[in-house]
Amino acid sequence: MTETINTPSQPIVSLNRDISHPGRSLGRDAWARLIRNKASVTGMIIIGLFTLIAIFASVLVPHSPIQIHSGANFLPPAWVEEFNGKTGNPDYLLGTDTLGRDVFSRVLYGARVSMVVGLIPTVIIMVLGTIVGMIAGYFGGRLDNLLMRLTDVVYAFPDLLFFIIVMVSLRDSFIGQMMNGLLLLFMALAIVNWVGVARLVRGQVLSLKEKEFVEAARCIGAKDMHIMFRHILPNSLGPLIVFAAFAIPGAIITEAILGYLGLGLRPATDQAAVFITSWGGLLLEGQTAINAQPYMLLTPAICVALIVLAFTFLGDGLRDALDPRMRGTQ
Amino acid sequence: MLAYFIRRILWFVPVLLVVSAITFVLMHNTPGGPWDRDLEARQVDSNTQELLNEYYGLNKPLWRQYVAYVIGDFDKEGAFVCGILCGNLGPSYRVRGRTVQDILFEPPEGKGFSDSRFGYSARLGLIALAIAIAIGMPVGMMAALGQNTWRDYLGLFIATGGISVPSFVMGIFLIIIFGSWLHLVSIVPRSWDKIDVWILPALVLGFNTTAYTARLTRSSMLEVMRQDYVRTARAKGLAERVVILIHMLKNALIPVVTILGPALAGLVTGSFIIETMFGFPGMGRAYVQAISQRDYSMILGTTIIYAVLVAIANLSVDMVYVFIDPRIKLSD
Amino acid sequence: MRKLFTLLSLLVLASMVLAACGGAAPPATEAPAQPEEPAATEAPAATEAPAATEAPAETETPVLRINIGTYPDIVDPQKSSFVNEIAHLKLIYEGLTTYDETLATVPGAAESWTYNDDATVLTFTLRDGLLYSDGAVLNAERFAYSIKRNIDPATAGEYAQITDEIAGAPEWRGCGEDAAACEAGAATVAESVKASHADGSACADYEDTACNTLTLTLSKPAPYFHTVMGLWVTFPAKQEGIEEGGDNWWNSSKFQIGNGPFVLQSLEPFVRGYFTPNENYWDGVAQVDIEYSYIVDSAVAFEAYKNNEFDIVPSAAEDLATIESDPTLAAEHMVYPGSCTIAIMFHQLKEPFNDKKVREAFAYALDRDAWVTDVDAGLSAPTLTWIPAGYPGYKEGETRWGYDPEAAMQAITESSYGSVAALPPIEVTFGDSPRNRVRHEWLVAKWQEVFGADLKITLNPVESTTYTELTKSIDTSPLMFRLGWCADYPDPQNWLSVYWKTGGFGERIGYSNPAFDELVNAADVELDPTKRAELYQQAQDLFMDDAAVAMMYNTINHYLVKPWVQGIKTTPQDSAWPGDIDPVSITIDSSMIP
Repeated sequence: MTETINTPSQPIVSLNRDISHPGRSLGRDAWARLIRNKASVTGMIIIGLFTLIAIFASVLVPHSPIQIHSGANFLPPAWVEEFNGKTGNPDYLLGTDTLGRDVFSRVLYGARVSMVVGLIPTVIIMVLGTIVGMIAGYFGGRLDNLLMRLTDVVYAFPDLLFFIIVMVSLRDSFIGQMMNGLLLLFMALAIVNWVGVARLVRGQVLSLKEKEFVEAARCIGAKDMHIMFRHILPNSLGPLIVFAAFAIPGAIITEAILGYLGLGLRPATDQAAVFITSWGGLLLEGQTAINAQPYMLLTPAICVALIVLAFTFLGDGLRDALDPRMRGTQ
Repeated sequence: MLAYFIRRILWFVPVLLVVSAITFVLMHNTPGGPWDRDLEARQVDSNTQELLNEYYGLNKPLWRQYVAYVIGDFDKEGAFVCGILCGNLGPSYRVRGRTVQDILFEPPEGKGFSDSRFGYSARLGLIALAIAIAIGMPVGMMAALGQNTWRDYLGLFIATGGISVPSFVMGIFLIIIFGSWLHLVSIVPRSWDKIDVWILPALVLGFNTTAYTARLTRSSMLEVMRQDYVRTARAKGLAERVVILIHMLKNALIPVVTILGPALAGLVTGSFIIETMFGFPGMGRAYVQAISQRDYSMILGTTIIYAVLVAIANLSVDMVYVFIDPRIKLSD
Repeated sequence: MRKLFTLLSLLVLASMVLAACGGAAPPATEAPAQPEEPAATEAPAATEAPAATEAPAETETPVLRINIGTYPDIVDPQKSSFVNEIAHLKLIYEGLTTYDETLATVPGAAESWTYNDDATVLTFTLRDGLLYSDGAVLNAERFAYSIKRNIDPATAGEYAQITDEIAGAPEWRGCGEDAAACEAGAATVAESVKASHADGSACADYEDTACNTLTLTLSKPAPYFHTVMGLWVTFPAKQEGIEEGGDNWWNSSKFQIGNGPFVLQSLEPFVRGYFTPNENYWDGVAQVDIEYSYIVDSAVAFEAYKNNEFDIVPSAAEDLATIESDPTLAAEHMVYPGSCTIAIMFHQLKEPFNDKKVREAFAYALDRDAWVTDVDAGLSAPTLTWIPAGYPGYKEGETRWGYDPEAAMQAITESSYGSVAALPPIEVTFGDSPRNRVRHEWLVAKWQEVFGADLKITLNPVESTTYTELTKSIDTSPLMFRLGWCADYPDPQNWLSVYWKTGGFGERIGYSNPAFDELVNAADVELDPTKRAELYQQAQDLFMDDAAVAMMYNTINHYLVKPWVQGIKTTPQDSAWPGDIDPVSITIDSSMIP
């Protein structure tokens, strides 16, 4: 039998068609997905806005946040005609507080402390927790056991109680005086919360450790540190980033609660000080004055809610973006 | 597995020791003592102060005080007074004449254990948890099942709102709305015997947990919804309700259950703001007040109680987890 | 889906039922939205089982509902020291003396008293037929027991030193471990505090109705001591009650039996304290029940007051604007002078305040009127004197060191520093709390205004209890801090000798003036009231000349009182609510309650 070869009607020009696609890293991929998520974009805008406010507060405020205006206390916001016998003054957009200080200016300055309190402890927590978790998970054995027992102890400490006692006992020491008491706050937050990250990272490392690519890397002769940081860490970034996105608002709320208890930032007298007041402190002042000037409480409460919302949306978006399987599930 | 749990329980002891030691050092490091009072009142004079220090053994070296607190020590007459090992959490320096365990666990005369300060806090925590489950789970499920519809957005709004508003802000708002405007509840309950006065404080306390539960239920339902076995169930022609209840719910609830244990512990510990606002006779504010009053025994006692609660909660969650999810193998 | 909801709702209900079952009452039926009727009538229950509905009482005694604030730590006459604790004690007990609206000391349980020639022996004669609320006899032996219990080192009462004028009291209190000294001290005090019959013969026991004389021997002349004997530390708690009830005796209405206008019916920690009229009170039977609540949050208390859940609450400065703009609330706002003076203390031995001119300057720079308007919203009264208006010994028309910015700058130039820039950095210390922050931020801002930008001044907030500890001794005492003194009893001796004599409370800032000491020492023992007042006045003038501290303001009592509460008599010395000086005269007009 003879075979018939179908001759193509057109000659094939070339078999070398460039079908390659420019490689996209996980980062680019994730970013593209993130942008598409409307909620997380909103979140990012809000965060960006507050960050700018925090940085440029000294330029943006219409009045000095600690300037007392005698006789002008508890003024209602500018658009209110009459409240408790006082009228709104366009000079003070959101009204004034107990001592006649401009609420709007104080809230803008409050953003500084809240953003800083959100970010810095979270960074410390992530770094510390990651290192501990990686070492424990990768090396295993007695080192792992020891570190896990350490986390057990820290875990057993009731968070808020630990904060309170640390703040109260070290408040008047050298550490407590630095940065208006913020350094102490960061330390307290960091000490309690790094445990969660460590456990998370450890879990990730344990599951990734046995994967083939790690084995392959070892075969090639890669060092432990190299494997840990170039291979395992990038693959565990997903849940870590999401954790961070939820840790930040948690820190902000904790500062608010500590401020309510009078354990937050120390008051500043110097106009040139960087950290003057925080939303937590404003919430505290506002709560006692809720009948006199409700916007003293409403404004920082809304700001806290907004920033938490923003970080939550961002965290959700990041989770979607970094984990393709979850696409469409959030 | 039994061995694992026994080991975990045995670990309680060193953990508690470390926790108590750290607390002890921190609080004695704080300037001021139990006899330093609010400046509006006349201060205790030095004679009396010495007397009191002598009586309570506060002039002994720190290590001795710590050992006395944990194990026990000989008092002035030479009798041995036992410490924590015997359940004695120490004498309160503020409410002189009563011990810490007495204050926290003894009910007022003629009432049962659940009317002790601990009992009140526990009850409030339980109700708050029940509210969290009763509202959080359905909201989360509704959001998941109606994803990207108004139901989803409403659910997300409740969930994130609950996380971002601190409890004291929520508290004063609810008091004003339900008390002053709507006159639905009395702002100051004269008696905690009827259930209706518990609702507002429990709501404020549990709002945070409700939000977390809703979010977690939603995300785990969403994850479960995509699974193959759900598709199979549907393909088999089962009614939607059956699919949801029998196949999805069970699996979706696993992550939720894991947070409930620590959540309960957190609810019992977190009630002090609620107590201050509503005049609730719980034990939450015992800790905060004790710190500013430097009531050393009370500080140590409440810290230990809370640490025990948290440890038990974590352990029970792990145990429940094992039973629910057969895939889980416990490794240390 | 529906099944799930039902399931979960059942779960919620179940847990609520379980939780509610913990209380004594069965759970209420599903009616959480029941509005609470204001307690116009309420049957005081003997046990804690509440009725599901308000059962009408046999006699409709109206209830006076007061918010006291913090729950008391201990309600024991010889161990209590805080205002809220005293508020409870004053209802249950009555002392030998009390005072009237003008703060003059008047007879209480004692009908009369006399001093001997040199005021070293004080003899009280009790009224006839005094009874405890349970009908037991109240005689002088009871008072003797209480006074001795106060001094007894075993009690370790926190206000024990206030009766140190009694011969042997300081020695007994300070005997420490020395058993012999303790015995000797106890014996001396037993001799100094003697109950007897009118003729001097010893009393038989607590039932002895003829035992109506109490003789106190003092270690030095103290013609003001009858005023001190009205304080709560001498309230006659029953010995049997204390011994039977053990350390927790005061919590129980079985053991805490008193001779005052009210009977303690129940004390529910943090929830409420309930008092009913004492039928056996010698000055008449009260016409209301009293219910104390313990809401600490002033915003919540204010809401509750507006909601007609309280009859009397202290008003907060933050709510003043709301109160004044509402005609109803403004009419219900009761404002009258208080018992405290607040001053800015300067450490007399530390720079720059060891220089009198600098102290004067800071006093001149203090705009007290602006403080009262800005910070306290009118709820305090500016003052330039140490003893407040309304108190015996008050000097009217004092003008030294009043607000005068020019004089302030002048004083600085006259001082050893010469200019503001030459002053060392000044640190203002205070106990950290939101109100205090506001106060001190204001102070610093104002001083910066007067003295200009050259002034180096900073704020140093410390935790409240730490602050207390710092101010207790001269070594740790801060450079400049705000402190007050509230009268224990209305007598210049309490204001001047107790505080500013060398070795008194003024020691903590290093104040000591021998000429002042001489004057008050003489005044303390002077029997002639005119001469006495004169001597105290001279001492006060001397003290003011020293400009040791900068007087700032007097506290004001400010409460919201519902219009249906009538018959309230107020004094600056009120403990925790207006009218507690004579609660028997208070009535509630039930027809006015909505």
